[in-house]
Amino acid sequence: MKNFFIILEMKILNIILKIFHKHGGNFLGKIAFDKNPEIFKYFKVNCPVIAVSATNGKTMTNNCIGYTLKKAGYKVVSNVEGNNMETGILSTILKNCTLTGKIKADFLVFEVDESYIPVVFKDFRLDTLVILNFFRDQLDRNGEVESLILRINEFLKTYTGQLVLNNDDPNVARLGQANPENSNIYYFSVDKYDFATEKIKEAGEGKFCPFCKTKLEYEYYQYSHIGKFKCPNCNFGNNEIYRTATNINLKNRSFDIKNVTYNIKGNSIYLIYNYTAAISVCILYNISENIIKDSLSSFALNNGRLEELEINGTPTIINLAKNPTGSNVSLRILNEDEDKKELLFVLNDNLADGFDVSWIWDINFDTLNNVSRIITSGTRAYDIAIRIKTSGFPAEKIEPYLDLKEAINNLYKTDIKKYVIANYTALQPTRKELRQFGGKK
Amino acid sequence: MKELKILYLYPDMLELYGDYGNIQVLKYRIESRGYIAIIDRYSIGDTAPNFNDYDIVFAGGGADNEQSILAEDLIKYKKNIKEAIQNGVFFLLICGAYQLFGKYYKGADGKIIPGLEIFDYYTEANLDRKKRCIGNIVIETKLNGFNTKIIGFENHGGQTFDISNPFGKVLFGNGNKFGDSEEGFFKNNIIATYLHGPLLSKNPELADFIIKYCLDRKYDENIALTPLNDKFENLCKEQLLNSFLKEDRT
Repeated sequence: MKNFFIILEMKILNIILKIFHKHGGNFLGKIAFDKNPEIFKYFKVNCPVIAVSATNGKTMTNNCIGYTLKKAGYKVVSNVEGNNMETGILSTILKNCTLTGKIKADFLVFEVDESYIPVVFKDFRLDTLVILNFFRDQLDRNGEVESLILRINEFLKTYTGQLVLNNDDPNVARLGQANPENSNIYYFSVDKYDFATEKIKEAGEGKFCPFCKTKLEYEYYQYSHIGKFKCPNCNFGNNEIYRTATNINLKNRSFDIKNVTYNIKGNSIYLIYNYTAAISVCILYNISENIIKDSLSSFALNNGRLEELEINGTPTIINLAKNPTGSNVSLRILNEDEDKKELLFVLNDNLADGFDVSWIWDINFDTLNNVSRIITSGTRAYDIAIRIKTSGFPAEKIEPYLDLKEAINNLYKTDIKKYVIANYTALQPTRKELRQFGGKK
Repeated sequence: MKELKILYLYPDMLELYGDYGNIQVLKYRIESRGYIAIIDRYSIGDTAPNFNDYDIVFAGGGADNEQSILAEDLIKYKKNIKEAIQNGVFFLLICGAYQLFGKYYKGADGKIIPGLEIFDYYTEANLDRKKRCIGNIVIETKLNGFNTKIIGFENHGGQTFDISNPFGKVLFGNGNKFGDSEEGFFKNNIIATYLHGPLLSKNPELADFIIKYCLDRKYDENIALTPLNDKFENLCKEQLLNSFLKEDRT
């Protein structure tokens, strides 16, 4: 009965929140979880539960899977807003369940923070877990990547559901061996793309084989430590691949999987990985390739993840980057674009960003392609300016402004194409200021 | 043309907290003055370096796992390193490397990783792994007789004891231990510290102190370094000192 009343209370609270046009976020889940940390056990789920986790690309992949399943005519409950800790997921469930804890949906699709997988799914149904990548991310808040992977590995030792893993990230692929009894492992991969390199170009993890400690050998690196690798000693990495993306063409924004060509919005190698994961999941649930194809051609997040805008006629591309790899892939897109451009980098050090900004020294600013000016802003505008200067970019072409409005006013003094990179708490204020500057609401 | 040679130790293992930035800052500040910066990297499996051939030896912080692997390797060079220190080669050691130059590092599990025993200090991990000294830090040190404020970021579980010559007095943050008044170790040509940031990116006067020391030693003169345009560095330092020392942001 206790849980019945918790849910009732949360339903009423949700109505009150709605009256005041408040979204709630993690709020409902936080209260309910405090009242009963075992509340996850109470819910009755009779449909498949899919979860997506990674350092980068969770929201994009999660929303793409949900969007495609909806296109296929299914009722999907999902935390599309990116509230991905146990409280956020619980909020989503509470808003969509009956008082007796029944969730009426055809699919539950959740994005889950890497460290919360064991917390949420200890007592909650899970049918398919997708893991995309592990990168260093806010070390002062999250700790070392290795300890995170070990926690997930521990959880997977008794997990027997479907596991969809990126075979091009050694730290993800190793999880396929966590439970030798589990035969539901599906690896995906992406063929070499035009800008792949023989040597690693950006900071990365996973240099040594997790099983025999031998140095891993790479045929090529796509970005960071993502690429085609193998352990020369124990053959780790040599898995049977469920789905591989081929003919990667970022200029035309297309790729193939098993003779089907997918056209997408966006032009980055990491998107191809996200979409290959999403496609693998949808195919596992028998969604037809035509529906997936149609879904991918129109899917876009438009919330600062490779968002393309025109501000007073000037093309502007905004991308979130909260860690070195996020920034490095954003710079890859910029460098793969031959046009002349200017860059705005907004760097904050608020609680949710981590106070430590030393990760910006893991961003590769060498040989920026056709960048004529860089403006920096955010609470650590000077730190990022020093970082860029030290990489060899001329200091006189770097303009730091602590004030975001001032930064944006100065950015649009020219009509050269703009790239905007913003970290976590900087992203939404930057989007807002850009829209205001462009005269939009 | 004058040149400075830097030995960068274990770049593939001690690379967690952006400490590589220190090498980039040194290179930038050496080359901007028309000198040559030569950077050699050494890691496990490479040909043994002679530490005496270098002007600066640098090593940064890494993950716990990697630390114990390389401790075994580094100990092979103990005699050579001692010699280089006596000869006046400058050593800049951050975090994990700082700990390795002491007597030992005792992990949370009680396991002891022997250090190089070059200095008398020793480090013990905090027993609660979740409790670490994490945050922005400001210390005050003396460079060429002048009091200088140094800014960085600390992130260490290890508590370092028995420091004879601290790098600086803590104005904000923890230091060698939780709530300590002292940070790091500084003796003649050695600076060993917990400060990431990277350290030299926030503190150009410290970078120049090291560069001048090395040039003077190598070329036996008293060089006046050409001033560089440090507008961003000065603005950064002013902003951060204001923010850390005036309002308590914990």
